[in-house]
Amino acid sequence: MTLPSVLYHCTCSNAYSATNAPPPAHLPSSSYAFHPLSTLFFCEECDLVRCNRCVAVEVSGYYCPNCLFEVPSASVRAEKNRCARNCFQCPHCSNTLSVVGSDPPPNPNPRAPPNVNSSGDSPFFLFCNYCRWDSVEAGMTFEKPTGLAHQLQKNEDLAPETLEFDRLKDHFEPLLRASLHSSSSPAHPVTSTPMNAITAAANSALNRDIPGLRRKGRGEKHNLKDEWGVYRARIDSANSGVDAEGEVDFLRDCEDVNEIAGLEQRWGSSWAHSIKANDLEPLRVPLHSKQSKRCPECRHILIKPEQKSQSVRYKIKLMAANYLPLIEIMLAQPPAQMPTALQQRTAKGRPGAAQGAGAGASGNVTTVGAGADELGAGLLVSGRTYQFQLAFTNPLYDPIQVRLSVQRAQPTGFTLPTAGTGTSTKPARAPFAISLPTTPFPISAYAEAWEYDDDDEEMFMDDEELEDIIAGREVGAAGGMGALRGGRPGGAGGSEKGNVGVLERKANVTKVGGEVVLGKDALGEIKFNMLVSYTYRSDDPQSNADDGSSAANTNKTGTGEMKTFSFYSVVYLGTVGPRGATR
Amino acid sequence: MAPIKDKFTIHSKAVVCQDVELKGDITIGSGTIVHPKATIFAIAGPIVIGTGCIIEEAVIIVNRKKEVMRIGDENLFEIGSRVECPSIGDFNTIGTRARVHHTLRMTSYCVIGAGCLVVPAEEESLEEYTVIYGPSAERRIWSGRGKIQELDLRRKHAEYLRDMLPKFNRLREDKGLK
Repeated sequence: MTLPSVLYHCTCSNAYSATNAPPPAHLPSSSYAFHPLSTLFFCEECDLVRCNRCVAVEVSGYYCPNCLFEVPSASVRAEKNRCARNCFQCPHCSNTLSVVGSDPPPNPNPRAPPNVNSSGDSPFFLFCNYCRWDSVEAGMTFEKPTGLAHQLQKNEDLAPETLEFDRLKDHFEPLLRASLHSSSSPAHPVTSTPMNAITAAANSALNRDIPGLRRKGRGEKHNLKDEWGVYRARIDSANSGVDAEGEVDFLRDCEDVNEIAGLEQRWGSSWAHSIKANDLEPLRVPLHSKQSKRCPECRHILIKPEQKSQSVRYKIKLMAANYLPLIEIMLAQPPAQMPTALQQRTAKGRPGAAQGAGAGASGNVTTVGAGADELGAGLLVSGRTYQFQLAFTNPLYDPIQVRLSVQRAQPTGFTLPTAGTGTSTKPARAPFAISLPTTPFPISAYAEAWEYDDDDEEMFMDDEELEDIIAGREVGAAGGMGALRGGRPGGAGGSEKGNVGVLERKANVTKVGGEVVLGKDALGEIKFNMLVSYTYRSDDPQSNADDGSSAANTNKTGTGEMKTFSFYSVVYLGTVGPRGATR
Repeated sequence: MAPIKDKFTIHSKAVVCQDVELKGDITIGSGTIVHPKATIFAIAGPIVIGTGCIIEEAVIIVNRKKEVMRIGDENLFEIGSRVECPSIGDFNTIGTRARVHHTLRMTSYCVIGAGCLVVPAEEESLEEYTVIYGPSAERRIWSGRGKIQELDLRRKHAEYLRDMLPKFNRLREDKGLK
């Protein structure tokens, strides 16, 4: 069972929809629109979150993961994407191989120290320290311990599959050039751009004469075929290549499974390779690449690693975690004696939910003991009320005001719901109700640990906010929901009213409480979309003043400029198991 | 069960650190190195360790059987491995955090890879030059090429430890007394 989680929305998934709102949480498409905060980027120019799915990726350099040599992109292709120095992979366990010398002749006196040459003796071979495979088994020894790839180059170049591939490349080279040329010419009709070299090649292959099949429609395509010529393979694959009979004999006499090379061991080499484990050959280590990512709209770089392969730092790194507040969710343990009055009070005004809560309360008495175990397993029980805590961490150096709202079933863009509780009204699918604090709550600025004062929980609480909170308390009491508890730690009173509201403020973390009332027929995953908008004082009014983004709207108030940024997140609370399982 | 009687026979050239837990009848041969925090338990029968072995930190060697557990010469027990084999030959390597159960007997030149769990259901004797590696404890037979170089390296390793360990650790006092 997965733990409760919060994922963030990237607007790239609704590029074709009118609003910026994400799909409702219960739809399967929802899982494609939300991402963990740590994987998201933030484009300062567009003032938008960017995910790995929408960024433009480009390679900024190739290197060998073993020797960390930076391979110039010009030679990457010539070296066939593999390290051309001394790096090899073990064909059995894909560990890296080391070059070792041969043993000196055994000393007649076993107790005397062997006269081992520190630089090793010829012939050299490759040795796997992990599974103790060595290249002598595959018949490979070397005169010199350096430049092994070079010594093996001849072998590789003369392999039939390499020759065949080179021939194929030569054959299609003029075609590729021709198609590039034709598609780049402006007079060419746009409709034929999909007709690239690959489709062309596939076409000609499909139109090849197959004995025993009627030659139908060959006339129309005839000119195409003539234009490209017929490719004749170097080797007739039907008659040569794999020695099938020998393999059958080998398999018949085989007694140990380990004598046959596994699929993953053969996968790296050509398909015509022998299936005997003894014939496996070391592979050069495949190169890795460093990538930089750009914003798809404004082409600004979002993340760019340092060029050197040894370095793990970034030149540019615009992570969303540095801009958006981090939201963590915790599901509170239900109290041992769930007060029935509380449930009925919170469910007031919604007949469907009231039934559910009532049923849950009656069933509650028997299943109280099982509550902790179920919660530990991430299982929720229908008909119950659960309290959860959202911890917001502010990464900005300015204090922010956060306002939460639950997305309605019919998303209405970014008009913030103003009154009442965010009740999820998905009639068919979601028989549960979410209550969240509706008044904005503050989070202090991020600062180094020693900069916090002891009494800073009072620092950003001005009179206006206090009034808001009092008002919120009244609204909450009148509506039966959204009761707001005191915003200061230690304000333990009012637990009878539930814990919807600000629970704790400490440094740059503010914890707010919420509540979910599960209906009787709630089943499956309980998750909902939550719109988070936060207001902060912008440092540089010019940079963001003229952006056309709907997600950010600016309003000039007083000296600084207050900016509001909104984003959607999906909150996953848990899974309601089938009813039979909980009884 | 009668309380285990301690009887340690440690060769004067062995290096056994003070912070080592020994229990039962234990014999440690010349040139063997026992790092601090290693545990050697002779619960039922005695344990006899040969010469030139290296037993690293947090290694646990247990003898649960009545008969003598014999460990040969120049074996390497890497950090955190746990060995209960009733007999071990010469020049074996047991990798970091590997576990070998009492149903397995090891001959010589075997390698148990790091983190491997070797739990044969029936009594089994590992063939010489067997290599056990990987998460699913796959087996291979090593050709034995390079073993002289490795033996040389093992001896240098032990020699270095014999020099360096006493400089930074207290050694057991009762060495060579019994």
